[in-house]
Amino acid sequence: MSTHTSTVRPGATLAEGRPAGPATQPPRRRSAAARRLRRRALIPALCFLAPMLALYGVYYLYAFVFLGQTSRENVDLSFSGATDAGWRNFRLVLTDPLFWKSIENNLLFAAVQIAVALTLGFFLAVSLSSGVRFRRFFYIAFLLPSLVPLSLFATVFGQMIQTNGGALNQTLSDLGLASLAQDWTGSPTAAYVAVFLLLTYLIGLPIMYYTSDLTMVNTAVLEAAQIDGARTGQMLRLVLFPMLRTTHKTVILSVLLGSFRWFELIYFSTGGQPSGGTGIAGTYIYGQMFPSTGSAEIGYASAASVIVLLIAIAVSAVNVLVQRRRP
Amino acid sequence: MRKEAQLGRLLGTAGAAVALILTAAACGNSGGVGGSSNAAQASVAAGQSVTLNYWTWFPAQTTLQKSIDAFEKANPGIKINLREFTNTNYQTELPLALGGGQSLDIVGVQVSAMTNSVRKNLRPVSDWASDLPSNWQSQINSTMLDQTQKIAQDDTLYSIPMGSIGSAFVYSNQALLAKAGITAEPTTSAELAADVAKIKATEPGVTPVAFSGESWWQDEVFFTVADQIDPKLSDELYTGKVAWNSPQMVKALTAYQNLFSSGTLGTGTLSLKEADADNAFNSGKAAFLLEGSWDSSVLSSAYRQANGISVADVGAGYLPVSVAGGSPAARTYAEGGLAIPKSSQHVAQAAKFIQFMTLSQQGESTWAPDLVLVPSLNGYTVPSSVLTSPAAQSGYQTIAQTIDAGGSGRGEYSTTFTSDVLDNSLLQVARSQITPQAEAAKLQSAWASGRYPLQ
Repeated sequence: MSTHTSTVRPGATLAEGRPAGPATQPPRRRSAAARRLRRRALIPALCFLAPMLALYGVYYLYAFVFLGQTSRENVDLSFSGATDAGWRNFRLVLTDPLFWKSIENNLLFAAVQIAVALTLGFFLAVSLSSGVRFRRFFYIAFLLPSLVPLSLFATVFGQMIQTNGGALNQTLSDLGLASLAQDWTGSPTAAYVAVFLLLTYLIGLPIMYYTSDLTMVNTAVLEAAQIDGARTGQMLRLVLFPMLRTTHKTVILSVLLGSFRWFELIYFSTGGQPSGGTGIAGTYIYGQMFPSTGSAEIGYASAASVIVLLIAIAVSAVNVLVQRRRP
Repeated sequence: MRKEAQLGRLLGTAGAAVALILTAAACGNSGGVGGSSNAAQASVAAGQSVTLNYWTWFPAQTTLQKSIDAFEKANPGIKINLREFTNTNYQTELPLALGGGQSLDIVGVQVSAMTNSVRKNLRPVSDWASDLPSNWQSQINSTMLDQTQKIAQDDTLYSIPMGSIGSAFVYSNQALLAKAGITAEPTTSAELAADVAKIKATEPGVTPVAFSGESWWQDEVFFTVADQIDPKLSDELYTGKVAWNSPQMVKALTAYQNLFSSGTLGTGTLSLKEADADNAFNSGKAAFLLEGSWDSSVLSSAYRQANGISVADVGAGYLPVSVAGGSPAARTYAEGGLAIPKSSQHVAQAAKFIQFMTLSQQGESTWAPDLVLVPSLNGYTVPSSVLTSPAAQSGYQTIAQTIDAGGSGRGEYSTTFTSDVLDNSLLQVARSQITPQAEAAKLQSAWASGRYPLQ
């Protein structure tokens, strides 16, 4: 057993944590011991993981296989009497401009929320952490929209942006700004603005991510910056922001992948209007599964789901790649 | 090196997931399970009671309970176990339940929307017609029966329709109309425009015409306008007899656009949901309501009272004619089909209940006064106690006559072209974001793309 102590950074493996200095045991023997240790830990780990792996197998792998199968069939909601569709469903999805519009919207909305989270969310988190008055109230106010069910939140927002009698237009009129009142779901630009507003409300979780990491920031660095004469803006931009790089990554990845699950947000607020202009992948697939008129096209919707899944995997892989290459 | 290895593992896992899905896709075409087979009939000993499992979405549960109570009283050996769903949920739940082999004895079928998604698990009516009176077909409106059979892709009758519905119609708040000096239901778009102007002048806080801005409702209004040119125009569009960029189509789109550009229908109202529009009318905040015949319950003073609707008197009429030389129209279709699934082990008893609901005056009188459907039973008339005012009586008569006149089939041609392309496009036409000509060309191009075959 080694008698010296070593500093192992969080997340590093035992092998990585080995000090560079002279070792009391030959490296090969230490590595073998580590392997044995890992092997011994494997069985209890697998025991703990087994229930979740079984659930994963049943609910995810089966669902993927089922999705893959139905994507090449012509089949309705009864799932009976399916006929072979070959790759037709995939071809049709890939040539549908509305599908690509929905993917574009997904990425656009994710980009907007990332931008809002990294700027406004970061600024609010720092401001609240600096001990402003009523900060508990503000935390609740910012976090609440992220805690209530998205469908409820989006439904209320949908009511607010109604053209006639909606709270937003009514407030603008009451403030003497009637010229700014819009047909929020009628004009493409206004509808985008409405969705962006909605996304801005949802920065509660990024604020929480930043707030929790701000408590771990080494204040000596800030004090040093202050002594060196850094102004508040400079401290935020040049010191604090880079120090929270790990949090930025968490925020970016969670928003990016989460954006593919914003179905309720869009469905209950703008309903994808105008003319599918604010639709996202989720609303597009739902529209094919449960069309307001016509029969459900399960095969087509499955093909669209498979393509969206592949796009989401590709987006996250690219994101990880970019993050890892950054110094 | 370690980072690269981790990245490699990540991409490897993603690749494995992709491979799994694509393999499943490549191995697809299970061919489905096809329809189920008829369940064997349970033997019922003398004096033994039978419980029938009944799933439906219509009529309202309180109404249906009256029907069930009356049926059980008349048939002491049969009990009904009812499960009622909301309209949209039912369209999903029933096909899945029947496909999964759920044992049900009676099911309500939305004739145009659901027949083909459940027919493989239903018994054709011919299988249990021997349990009905021999002359049963002559007792039911032949058009509705014909529609119910025709909608099935194999041209087989799977359910007996309780009645028929149609759209679009105009309901009116008689008190608001009287206040504005309007003495009759508008019959042309010019008259409606004049009425709207009067209401705006006398009641500035009232929405002149409330209607749903949901995309599905736009084609209901549009096709009603189109069928004013030719009552079969929408049928002909879907069957390819008339092109989507034909002169009639452009004329219909122009008339539809004019309703909005003239201010008769407000584009601001397009952000309302159906429930919002109904609420506005029911609370006296709208003078007219564009709705389907399924909303005719508001004509009944008893219904209004029971449901807290504050409007004292309601009238109704057809959608005002919006094209020169046009005639009143409505797309209609049989609705409220009652069917027996293959999984039922009590076919004779289930048929008895269906007979009670569709072929007997007693059964009919338990649900028909709700006015949601124009009943299919020949010779049935709504009791005079239901429609208490001349406006309501005349309104209901207009709706029933327009539906009886027959027109294009409402929801008969099943394709997502309507929801994917047409409905969204109509919203653009209504907002004058596209010309009728350009819109017609766009529709024809999408129709001819092959993406939307009729199902």
